[in-house]
Amino acid sequence: MKNYFGVLLLITFFLVGCKDDAPSGIPGPGLGGVTVNKYISIGNSLTAGYQAGGLYEDGQIYSFPNLIAQQLKIAGAPLGKFEQPIWGNPGSPDISGKTARLEILAWPASGPVIGSSGATAGVATNSNLPRPYDNLGIPFAYISDFLDTADFVVKSVPLPKIFFLHVLRNKSYGNSVFDQARKVTPKADIVTFWLGNNDVLIFAIYGGTAVIGNTVIPTAPTPSATFAIQYGQAFDSLRSAFPNAKIIVGNIPDVRAIPHFTTVGPAVAASLEGAFAISYQKHGTTGAGDASSYLTEANAPLLPLGAGAYVAKIGQPSGQWYKDNSITLPAGIDTTQMFGLDYRNPIPDALILDSLEIAMAGAAVTSFNQTIVTVTAAKGAALVDIYSIFNGIKKNGLKIGGETFTADYLAGGLFSLDGIHPSSKGAGIVANEFIKTMNSKFGMNVPQVDISRLPGIPAPLGKYIVNSKSGLKRSYDSMQPFLKQ
Amino acid sequence: MIGTTLLFGGGFQLNEHGARSMAQAGAFAARAYDASAVYFNPAGLAFQKQNSVYLGSTFISPEIDFYGPSNLGSNKKTSMKNQIFTPINAYVQYGITEDLHFGFGVYNPFGLGTEWDPMWDGRRISIKADLQTFYFSPTVAYKVNDQISIGVGVNIITGGVELRQEVASVPVGATPPIIDLELSGNNFGFNVGLLYKFSETVSFGASYRSGSKIEGTGTATFTPNYAALQLPNGEINGNLELPATAYAGVSMSPMENLEVEVDFQYVGWASYKELKVNFKADQSSTVLPKNYENTYIIRVGGEYSMDALKIRGGYLFDHSPVPQKYVDPVLPDADRDGWNVGFGYQLSENITIDAAYLFLKVRQNTVTNTETVFDGTYNSIANLFALNIGYSF
Repeated sequence: MKNYFGVLLLITFFLVGCKDDAPSGIPGPGLGGVTVNKYISIGNSLTAGYQAGGLYEDGQIYSFPNLIAQQLKIAGAPLGKFEQPIWGNPGSPDISGKTARLEILAWPASGPVIGSSGATAGVATNSNLPRPYDNLGIPFAYISDFLDTADFVVKSVPLPKIFFLHVLRNKSYGNSVFDQARKVTPKADIVTFWLGNNDVLIFAIYGGTAVIGNTVIPTAPTPSATFAIQYGQAFDSLRSAFPNAKIIVGNIPDVRAIPHFTTVGPAVAASLEGAFAISYQKHGTTGAGDASSYLTEANAPLLPLGAGAYVAKIGQPSGQWYKDNSITLPAGIDTTQMFGLDYRNPIPDALILDSLEIAMAGAAVTSFNQTIVTVTAAKGAALVDIYSIFNGIKKNGLKIGGETFTADYLAGGLFSLDGIHPSSKGAGIVANEFIKTMNSKFGMNVPQVDISRLPGIPAPLGKYIVNSKSGLKRSYDSMQPFLKQ
Repeated sequence: MIGTTLLFGGGFQLNEHGARSMAQAGAFAARAYDASAVYFNPAGLAFQKQNSVYLGSTFISPEIDFYGPSNLGSNKKTSMKNQIFTPINAYVQYGITEDLHFGFGVYNPFGLGTEWDPMWDGRRISIKADLQTFYFSPTVAYKVNDQISIGVGVNIITGGVELRQEVASVPVGATPPIIDLELSGNNFGFNVGLLYKFSETVSFGASYRSGSKIEGTGTATFTPNYAALQLPNGEINGNLELPATAYAGVSMSPMENLEVEVDFQYVGWASYKELKVNFKADQSSTVLPKNYENTYIIRVGGEYSMDALKIRGGYLFDHSPVPQKYVDPVLPDADRDGWNVGFGYQLSENITIDAAYLFLKVRQNTVTNTETVFDGTYNSIANLFALNIGYSF
């Protein structure tokens, strides 16, 4: 009998612990032979890490270029610290010197209250860096600003333009983004270039209007032909300055698909019952609405988030928007009439993207993206199709590692509280798209960002995620008026 | 709201319900010659000559290594925390008359769990999953003639599940909340069996155990429970689908002192289509598709008798019910091979002991495009040891 026990024991020892080895075929992180001694990023607010209406350290840490830089280091790139123009928390100022950053201030049963905390704005913490920054993303930059060698100190006076001074700082490093990019040493061998969004986005955010003094004027996206010339010039300069660099370009997401526009409008439409219609000002007009400018339930309008506070006034005699923005009452407007319901007190043009403006924005995005495809293909750059990726997320959501993202405001997780810029997790998703393109185009094996480890928006779960539409419906009316110019 | 994945799967079905059968790879339905027939084939009770009690436990030590997540370009190795599970089995067989037998069993046909480091990459999918079921089965068996017997049993089922994972996103510096879900409930089921002895040396057995839906209730606990997140803390409910299973086996004795058996086991996992947990606090619910598939296990085993000592061995192949798309760290299942050895020894006229060892190797499984978007490679094994004591009277 002892013999048998011996055999059993032998078999047992043979079997115990014989687990498979590590799988082959999953390559570890690596650069695939590509030299990466310096990475720089050029762009606008999306590159800067601008979130929730402001530029602030807690958001900039998670800018998509900084995330890419960290992943490049994991893959073995000998990059030092990726230097960014950090604006200390709570970040950049609004017109009164308070932080412009939007936060969820309270979340009563009626819905979230979103606005600035009212704290004093932060200060730049990295402005003594004795060289240009690696991240040259400048919020509010148009494509033309890439080449603009005019005095950025002078240009930085109106509020949104303060970021030119913040990022470019010192003329001795160069007078333009391009000049400064060239002066970063060692010479960049990887460049991400994502510009052009503001050439249509800013038009849309302000409802196709701008406030000059006390009056409202109509605006338009950058003309397609102008954009094509400027983008081509910008790219030629970039390529000639970095002839051997790997350049990765992002195209322009559909501005009509961002939650900044798709949140308030559907809520208003859902609240309209049958016969009710809302009068609005057509693009380019400042006076009374007319018989053809009515929104109905079937005609779901695109209203910016900032309209949330004003649609709550629909049906009341209100001139709140004119007061808030110090606009001289235009001819034909009678604020003693019911706001939105009487054609003499229509929804102002600034608070709506009407059908003409939607068409203008859509045409601009399409045309700009065609330019970007043509130029990048001709100049040997890799293109990240952010347009299709964001539209895909809007349509189908995005699941990753047990988390689900949608293009819904707050609950969707992809966008920050301004409904325009990606959240930190959204920036991680953008970074991963750039990394995927780098890997497939250049044979690199840069690991992607673990989205689950990035901070998110503390949006309530439950109802808001399971049934975000109704959650948003009940919350729109208490949103603070933000994104004022 | 929560990326919960339920637990039940090939990996959570336990097929080890006695050291004697386990040492033969569970190929036992055509013979079912001890009191564990309550589980394997109740008809087997009717042919047993002596009353008996059969008690035991199985020590299960699973090991899982994950390499990934490959969808993020990582091949980092993460090992599941070591855990030991000890499902029990206890059976009584009593002949009321020569032909009519009564049996009773307590056993755990579904169980086990997984636990990962709370900070690991897959924590939004699972940190911990733990499932227990207890079946209490009063059973009767009737010997129709010297060749045929039938049996039927009622299963009184109590089951519970615990799931832990990270949920929700929080700002910089805050601790992400962890959810603990606990669900438990009871239900009934039944099983039936047939045993047919073609000859002295060849027999056929078949049994069927019904599936059961446990309508579970319990609680969801969030830690920390941030008020701003309006987390649906408190009461929850959800259904636990336990699949039906059926055995069919043929045994034969090709030579004196040797018995061999081949069994085919069918498991009706297709009943497990989704997991839905309802949160009472905000009337929300989470639904996760599972879409398991019906599957089978092939079992081959045998026993060689040398007076008081019996030497046993076997092999099993367990086809995974989990489609590749739905493989996740809660249940990183794949096809399994199992090699079994064991022995039985007659200590005295009334007392036997049985020991069994099973080395279960889950085939290396590399998954891509998973439902949870958490891809990678799983390498898993399990070592199982079982010990039973039998007493006949």
